[in-house]
Amino acid sequence: KLVYLPPRSLVLLSRDARYNWEHMIVNRTTDTVNGNIIPRDLRVSLTLRTALTAPQANEIAGPLPRVESTIFPPRWGQIPETSACSNREMGISTHSSATDRSDLITPETESKHVHAVYDAIATQWHHTRGKRGVLWPGATQFLENLPPGSIVADIGCGDGKYFSSIIGCGSYVIGTDISLPLLKTASSGSGGEGGPQHQQLSIEKETLSTRPAVAVADCIHLPLRTGSCDAAICIAVMHHLSTVGRRIRCIAELARVVKVGGVINIQAWALEQENDSKRKFHGTDVLVPFNAQPKYLQAVNNHEGNGTPSKDAPAVDAKGKGVAQMLSENYDGAEFDSKKNLVIFQRYCHMYRQGELEELVAEVPGLELMESAYEKGNHVVLVAVREHFDL
Amino acid sequence: MRLLTHNFLRSNVKGTENGYPLNIEVTTINCEDSPLDKSFLLNLLPKVNYPALRTAVQQISQHCVPPLKEIPEQLDVSDKESNQNLDHETLKNLHRVLFDVYLIEGWLVCPDTGRKFPVKDGIPNMILHEDEI
Repeated sequence: KLVYLPPRSLVLLSRDARYNWEHMIVNRTTDTVNGNIIPRDLRVSLTLRTALTAPQANEIAGPLPRVESTIFPPRWGQIPETSACSNREMGISTHSSATDRSDLITPETESKHVHAVYDAIATQWHHTRGKRGVLWPGATQFLENLPPGSIVADIGCGDGKYFSSIIGCGSYVIGTDISLPLLKTASSGSGGEGGPQHQQLSIEKETLSTRPAVAVADCIHLPLRTGSCDAAICIAVMHHLSTVGRRIRCIAELARVVKVGGVINIQAWALEQENDSKRKFHGTDVLVPFNAQPKYLQAVNNHEGNGTPSKDAPAVDAKGKGVAQMLSENYDGAEFDSKKNLVIFQRYCHMYRQGELEELVAEVPGLELMESAYEKGNHVVLVAVREHFDL
Repeated sequence: MRLLTHNFLRSNVKGTENGYPLNIEVTTINCEDSPLDKSFLLNLLPKVNYPALRTAVQQISQHCVPPLKEIPEQLDVSDKESNQNLDHETLKNLHRVLFDVYLIEGWLVCPDTGRKFPVKDGIPNMILHEDEI
């Protein structure tokens, strides 16, 4: 998109233009505007990037550190110490390895906009995403590279869509998730087909798939013994953690349960989305809607253990309220879309900037970053455990 | 929950010195019969904490019908080479206790604090209460 700036123009870049788009001055000698050819002349441009509070009268002005706000609307807060944060963005503060107690307890944002939502939508989630079997980038490769007989911890395993891949690669998977309804769908049938080569599991492996090893657990407090796993995957989990402390703590727990010499694969949603992506994120901390169909929610409400959508439920109750509307009233924070007859849940998500996962990994002692990747709107980090520390 | 899975679980209640291994209280147990995958078992064995496995077998054995066959009192499973020399019968028995016995309903009890973690439909619930964090 070409924008003509006549002399003495003022340009204000905000939101997407400020944080997500790039801009440049095309290198040429003339520009064509409305059919008129305008030759390039001298250009003087004054760029004001960040506004800081003026120093007090007696303060000596020193060199200013780079200050950015990574959230929208922008917040400036304390100017970080230059020594500690040459590359640090605002919002990521240094943490000692002992986590703040408040980080250990589930904040309301997560209990309402993550835990409760997945509990409610578990059946639909499994039917639409788990069964489709589309795995996040590089996961299959990572799993295939593990030696046979590896113990893999799948933290935040959800409906177990990686299980058949892990089992097909000759490893044993122990999955944990905070949502019991999601874990139950993992047992109801193998979650997804995995890669084509693992579609048919051997008879010996069948029972591993139909009787997956799962436990209800919080990724912040893993009930696994230290150094017991050969590898861990933590996919599409970190973006549901709402504080820096909790994100670091989750990585620290992964580092603890994996043995020295083991590897960890962490993936989360990227702030930077590809051009053709349907996702557009207007800030780093957002609520992402999930459109739940009443038939799946009813299955949960009717306590149908296998999650089959209920066919006989009335479409409308005595007062004329539709099923979807009634259901939306059961869920705090959900909205009812009367036109589409859907219940809309809002999932809390923190979008990761390029380099942010790496910064968090650097906060956990004993880890070595092996690889970083960006693929299809997700950031991936591969981490090796070099040492264990008492946290 | 299989005993193989149980072998990896521990209690992480605040202040626990050693929450492993968890003691098993059985309400309902299922025994199945899956074919032995010898190479898979041999690959996995070094990762198993054998004393914990033995204790677990002792705790659940009385509930199993038919009763579980004995596994060796002591076994150093860490050496892959020597594991290869285990006789077929022992491997079959190890396979059975690791893979084929499922705790469906019961409790996993922290050996330190006595805290009981419930197991329902074969799924242990290890979520801590706020005062245990």
